[in-house]
Amino acid sequence: MINWANFISQCFNGLVLGALLALISSGLTIIYGTLGVLNLAHGAMFMLGGYAGWLAFGYSGSFIVAVIAGSLFVLGVGLLTERLIIRHFYARTPEDQLLVTFGLGIVFVETVRLFFGSLSKAVPPPQALVGITPLGFMLYPTYRLALLGIVAVALFALYLALYRTRIGMIVRAGIEDAVMVDALGIDVYKVFMLVFGIGAMAAGFAGIVNAPVVSIAPDVGESILVQTFVVIVIGGVGSFPGAILGGLIAGEIISITSMFNPGYSYVMLFVAMTLVLVLRPYGLLGSAGRE
Amino acid sequence: MLRQRPLLVEVLTAAGLIAAPFILPYLGFTPTTINRILVWGLFGIGFDILFGFTGLLSFGQSAFFGTGGMVAAYLLTVMNFPHVITAVFIGAIATAIVGYLVGLIALRRTGIYFAMITVAIAEVFHFVEFNPLSDYTGGENGLPGVPTPVLHLGLTTVRFNTDWSLYWFLAFWYFIGIVIALRIVRSPVGAILRAIRDNPLRAAAVGHNIHGYKLTAFLVAASYAGFAGGLLGIMQGFMPPDAFMFDTSGQLVMQTAIGGAGTLFGPLVGATVWLYLSDFLQTTLNLGATWKLVLGVVFVLLVCFLRHGLIGGIKDLYELLTHRAAPPAEPQQAAAPGVTALKEQRAARAEIAKMPTAAAMPAAHRDTDRTSGAILKAVGLTKHYGGLVANSDIDFTVNHGELRGVIGPNGAGKTTFFKLLTCEVPPTSGKILFEGRDITGMSVTDVSQLGLTKSYQVNQLFNRLTVRENLTIAALAELRGKFRLDLLRRMPTIPGLAEQVEQTLKLVHLTARPDMPVAALAYGEKRRLEIGLALATSPSLLLLDEPLAGMSPSERIETVQLIRSIGRGRTMIIIDHDMDALFELVERVTVLQEGRVLVEGTPGEIKGNKAVQEAYLGGVAAA
Amino acid sequence: MSLLEVSRLNAYYGDSHILFDVSLNVERHEVVALLGRNGAGKSTTLKSLMGVVTPQSGSIRLDGSEIAGQKSHAIAQAGMQLVHEDRRIFGSLNVEENLILAGLSAPNRRPLEHVYAMFPRLKERRGTRGTDLSGGEQQMLAIARALVRAPKILLLDEPFEGLAPIIVRDLLATCRALAAAGQTILIVEQNISAAMTLADRVYLINNGHIVEQLTAQAVRSQPEILHRHLGV
Repeated sequence: MINWANFISQCFNGLVLGALLALISSGLTIIYGTLGVLNLAHGAMFMLGGYAGWLAFGYSGSFIVAVIAGSLFVLGVGLLTERLIIRHFYARTPEDQLLVTFGLGIVFVETVRLFFGSLSKAVPPPQALVGITPLGFMLYPTYRLALLGIVAVALFALYLALYRTRIGMIVRAGIEDAVMVDALGIDVYKVFMLVFGIGAMAAGFAGIVNAPVVSIAPDVGESILVQTFVVIVIGGVGSFPGAILGGLIAGEIISITSMFNPGYSYVMLFVAMTLVLVLRPYGLLGSAGRE
Repeated sequence: MLRQRPLLVEVLTAAGLIAAPFILPYLGFTPTTINRILVWGLFGIGFDILFGFTGLLSFGQSAFFGTGGMVAAYLLTVMNFPHVITAVFIGAIATAIVGYLVGLIALRRTGIYFAMITVAIAEVFHFVEFNPLSDYTGGENGLPGVPTPVLHLGLTTVRFNTDWSLYWFLAFWYFIGIVIALRIVRSPVGAILRAIRDNPLRAAAVGHNIHGYKLTAFLVAASYAGFAGGLLGIMQGFMPPDAFMFDTSGQLVMQTAIGGAGTLFGPLVGATVWLYLSDFLQTTLNLGATWKLVLGVVFVLLVCFLRHGLIGGIKDLYELLTHRAAPPAEPQQAAAPGVTALKEQRAARAEIAKMPTAAAMPAAHRDTDRTSGAILKAVGLTKHYGGLVANSDIDFTVNHGELRGVIGPNGAGKTTFFKLLTCEVPPTSGKILFEGRDITGMSVTDVSQLGLTKSYQVNQLFNRLTVRENLTIAALAELRGKFRLDLLRRMPTIPGLAEQVEQTLKLVHLTARPDMPVAALAYGEKRRLEIGLALATSPSLLLLDEPLAGMSPSERIETVQLIRSIGRGRTMIIIDHDMDALFELVERVTVLQEGRVLVEGTPGEIKGNKAVQEAYLGGVAAA
Repeated sequence: MSLLEVSRLNAYYGDSHILFDVSLNVERHEVVALLGRNGAGKSTTLKSLMGVVTPQSGSIRLDGSEIAGQKSHAIAQAGMQLVHEDRRIFGSLNVEENLILAGLSAPNRRPLEHVYAMFPRLKERRGTRGTDLSGGEQQMLAIARALVRAPKILLLDEPFEGLAPIIVRDLLATCRALAAAGQTILIVEQNISAAMTLADRVYLINNGHIVEQLTAQAVRSQPEILHRHLGV
């Protein structure tokens, strides 16, 4: 017999998790769509956002400062990483690109472990959002509710940036045909650097706003990375709407499965991914193009 | 290097393994570390075959490492199976079966998708091992009490229950593993795997079932991983759950890259560096947890600057010091390509002058061995790309022994037409009959096996292989069919292989330097090799797609002569824009315009045809 | 000094030698046509000028400055603009966005209204996504996009290919108007008659070598020359 309150609560969790995954995956997918590089250090970006935010919170006591600091720090890391390392790998094989981003991810994680140790750190939610909110027949943690709103706003901001700004137009054109953008007088390497930075920042932002829910630790990025992969395979690599759809689907699968048996959520995700691979090889909203 | 003197590598390995216990301890290696190096080294052999030789980067090997280990450990502990090494073998077999099923899913995609899928696989296996199956796997405690092997030799009993006795046990199995891997790598399957790494499109187009071979490589990697996992349990006396962790896969990837992928010994070297450094950094320098950071930085630096790992770096250094010329840089970076090409041309022409024209290599005897009548017949061939009509209702017949040219102005649909004929692309409607058999909708591989092959406009060679190896790949497809699991076969034992390769070398005038890597060849030589690849499959119908593309005037002359000599006794269809050259070669010409056949006739008839002139000159002719 | 001076250009596709010591000039306000069979190297020439293909050796001077070997965006900023043979408009953007994007980095931007005046059809379809445009409209957009940047020289790579005769006629009229207004154009075409209505001068290219240089007048009076190099 299903406990309906529990079920609705889990669906809500799925929505929150899904929105979060959608945001992180959007970052990964626009990096891949524009640069053609799959960033295996993306999980580390999520982790770095959490730690930078936690540090800032320690100094300022303000959650908002923490969020801004976390996001900007990861933006900077992303810009530097592209400029110093990724840029030299565009001519190399996809496997080499995977290897170097993988290595960078390890370096970031171990550096954090060196400075801050392996134990997890807590980041408390802002005072205003502590506690429980009654939602009709169920009670739901206030911060989580707010988190849904925060992430939704972030996704909307990303959408606006991509679809309503000049820079976003350049990025979308670059995803389609980077060579042509260059031929129209825009230095496409600068575009790449910006996209890598913004994509990383999306993960970093997610890392700090999610910190009050799940404490930060050096290894949090690893499971996020895997879930992100599943999301973009389901949604379609290189597709922003695909990342959102895939994220929501994945979030719900994880939450609802864990209602019955937490151990099986990964298995269900994998089953979903396999189904998509077999039935729609390019993802639900993806298209044939880059492999 | 792996292919030089036979048995040299095996002997050196055995010598190394025998000498190790007497040397390594003085360098600071504990026996436990050495044993762990061996297990990781064995684990990596299979991975190297998958990644280094086939080009498939998998982050999921931990799944198989753990599976093999758990099955073996479970048999030996919970089920009290008496025979240790047999349990390990059973574990490896179980892993191979699992690997097969996983491979069916994972290998649906390549490159980045494949890597992502393998990451997900690693995580899924870890979760399953930790939770639902924890009754069998011991969850986070693992399976304790794995026994050490015992060897009953009649009069005595050997117990491998000390570190050093375990060393001999593990070293023995490592040696076996290397010997088998060397056989695999030197077998036809090994050569084809390398071809798949370099150019999967061409490997399929010359007639190999690349999906089957990739699955084979995946299975080999899974089996080695499973076997090594079983050994891990024995070595540690218990089977740890962290074998399943994603970190394990990551560590394997990094070790292999550090040591050098594609060498079989890379994982061993990488494991040596990794484990020695982690010991050294942790115990001697007391750096605690930073060892992984240091290793991570070392890894990134190696990926950036030493692309072929430590073994590759040592090889390059050796070649530098012995002044053995490394293959010249890629032509884009070459200083004065015009000069080199000219010298090559002169040399080649001199050779052609010296050489008697080789007898044309006979087309292979296929099922229907007719020598007259139509060899190829296309009826109503049409291809739409969305709204664009590339080919429309083309009827086309070529007879045995004919030399046919296909021309047409830009947008005529010639490239699409060739792709339809070789079945690279399925037609929207229409039929293709080859030797009387309906081949519509077949795959490129099957069609090539039937005797219809193409040489490409843009060179599609196996760039990291030598000339001879390139031709061998093509010949293997013809001699062995599209898929054969002869993993342990020695290449010289394949009847007819050496002759077919030699004959093709002669036909395309590449006998001068057959053991040069492709990167060192001049453009004209590469073009000849391109044609040679198609020829080596002994096709009964050969399509040449712009064989003269990008050639200098003198190269054109040579290539025309070459085509003429290989055209003897063979049916060929040629597309090219060089009218003068083409009309010298062919007997009949088909003119395409806007996706349709405009007219057909002898070169003389076509030259004088008003409609053709109109098509090419667009009205000025009338003025 | 010619607006465009190309001297002994050698270009490769991979290690396939496509252009052999190609030299040509284009004067200000001229329309020059580069004619040749398919595979002769016409497209490669334009791509080398635009930096899409990096030339191996040789010199390209635009308005006196050497641009050979520079990146495409720098060459675009110097005043050269190429309309690719497969148009390469951004399908996921609409007409107006394509045009705005083109103008973002242009040193002298042509106002959109000017461009719309030349291509009224595009104005009608300004909100339509690139993928939903017809072939002719896409070609118009590709040319309009180049014109937004007010280039010193416009390179057209087979602009009339694959278009219906009526569309070709309209497009030809637009190009003639452009030329009459003083736009310098280097056009590569296989549609000889269309090219001949526009061109002041003609270069013939065969197997990567420039084989003839003629005024349009000379070509019209001796059509056998075209036969020899371009015909069958």
